[in-house]
Amino acid sequence: MASSLNKPELIVNGKRLDGRDFGELRPLKIEANVLKNAQGSAYLEWGNNRVLAAVYGPREATPRHTADSTKAIVKCRYSMAPFSGLADHGRTGPNRRATEISKVTKEVFENVIFLNEFPGSEIDIFIEILQSDGGTRAAGITAAAVALANAGIKMKDLVYAVSAGRIGEHVVLDVNMIEDNYSDADMPMAISPKSGEILLLQMDGGLTKEQLRKGMEMVIEAGKTISKAQRDALKDIYKK
Amino acid sequence: MRQFVTPGEELPKETRRNEFVTFYSGKPYSNILGFYNEAKNEVVPLEGMWKPQVGDSVIGVIEKPSKPGIYNVVLSDFVQGLIIAGKYEDSYDFKANDLVEAVVASVERKRLAILERPRKLAIGHTIYVKPVRIPRIIGKGETMIGQISRLTGTRIIIGRNGIIWLSGGNMELALKAIKKVENEAHTSGLTERIKQMLEAESAARS
Repeated sequence: MASSLNKPELIVNGKRLDGRDFGELRPLKIEANVLKNAQGSAYLEWGNNRVLAAVYGPREATPRHTADSTKAIVKCRYSMAPFSGLADHGRTGPNRRATEISKVTKEVFENVIFLNEFPGSEIDIFIEILQSDGGTRAAGITAAAVALANAGIKMKDLVYAVSAGRIGEHVVLDVNMIEDNYSDADMPMAISPKSGEILLLQMDGGLTKEQLRKGMEMVIEAGKTISKAQRDALKDIYKK
Repeated sequence: MRQFVTPGEELPKETRRNEFVTFYSGKPYSNILGFYNEAKNEVVPLEGMWKPQVGDSVIGVIEKPSKPGIYNVVLSDFVQGLIIAGKYEDSYDFKANDLVEAVVASVERKRLAILERPRKLAIGHTIYVKPVRIPRIIGKGETMIGQISRLTGTRIIIGRNGIIWLSGGNMELALKAIKKVENEAHTSGLTERIKQMLEAESAARS
C-alpha cells in the first residue's frame, strides 16, 4: 500500500480496473508434480502471478544443531526472480520482505504438517515468484500447499491463502498489484478450510470492524473455489 | 474410476482408522494424497515416504565404517540403517559402497533401523521407485513381481525402502514393467495388463 499524489481511480463504473467485481477472484490455474527432482511441486498461475513451489524432504536436518529430536523442522525460502516484477514492487533476492514472507509461510505450514512423524528431519519449501502482480505471498502459500501434498507429507488440511482489501468504502477480494499499491487496506489471510482456522492474518492499512468481517467472509467464500482448484490439480496427476 | 483423496478431504463414515485418517469433530478426513479403497473402506497413499517397520526387507549402501564392526547403511533421505557385528552375527566383511540386502530388526527414534541378516548383493542393476508403490509392485501374494521375474527371467530383490535390485535375464523389459506398475499403481486390472505387455514383448523379441 502506498499513498501517491498520482493515485489512480481504482474503481470505474462499479468495477475494478481489471473488470472484476468486488468479490471476484482472478483466474486461477494450478498444476501439480511439475518438477522431476523435487519430492513435490506445483506451478500456479493466478491472474498475472506465476509461482513455482517445490518441496524436498523430510530429510536429515542440516546443519545438525538445527535438528529437533522430537519433530521435523520446516524451512521456507520465498524468493522473487530478478525478472518477476515491476521496479516498484519489491526487490529480488534475499531482503527484508522475502525474509518476512518466508517466516510467515513457514509458520502457516508448521500448523498443519504432522511434524512429530519425522523427528530430527527438515522439510524444505521453496517458493519462486516468476512473475508478480500482487498477492504473491498468498499465491506462494496456495502453491506450496499443493506441493506439500504432492510430496506425500501428512497434513491436517490443504491450506489456501488469498487477500482482501479496501478501496475507499468498498471491501474487495484478491487485490492485484496496482490495488495493493494504492488501496486503503490489504489483508492477506491463510485458512485451513476444514476447521476454518486462520493461520495467517496480516494487515496493511485500516479496516473498520464491519469491513474486516466482510473481508473475512469474502476470503472464506473464495476458499471454496481455491480449494477446489488445489484438489483438482492433485487429482489430475493420476488422470493423465 | 478410483476416488482420489487429498489432505483435509472428508471421507465416508465407515472409513477404517489407519495412519492416513484423521478424525475432526467425529468425522474422518484424509491426511494424505491417495485414493479411497471402497472394498476395504480405507485410504491408500499414492505419495509419501517409507517408514521402517520391523521385518521390512531393505536394500542400502554401506557407508565408510566409523568403528570396527559397525556399519552405517544409507536407506533413504530420512532413515539410517545400522549393522552391528556381534548383535546378531559375529562379524561381517563389508566395504564402503557395498550394496546390501537386510531385514529391519528394530526401529529406534523412527529414523534409525537396526538391521539383521545382511547380505552383500552381487553386481546387478538398481533402481529407485516410490516406496508407497512397493506393495503394488510386489502384488497380492507376490503375483505381480512373480510374473515379472518369471516372464523376463530376471532375478529381482525388492527393498521396502524403494530400492530394487535386478540381475540377469531380460533386465530391460523387467525395468519397463516395474516402471509401468509404479506409474499406474492406482489403476485396476494392472496385473493382467503387465502380463499381456510382457508376453507381447517377449514374443516380439524371440
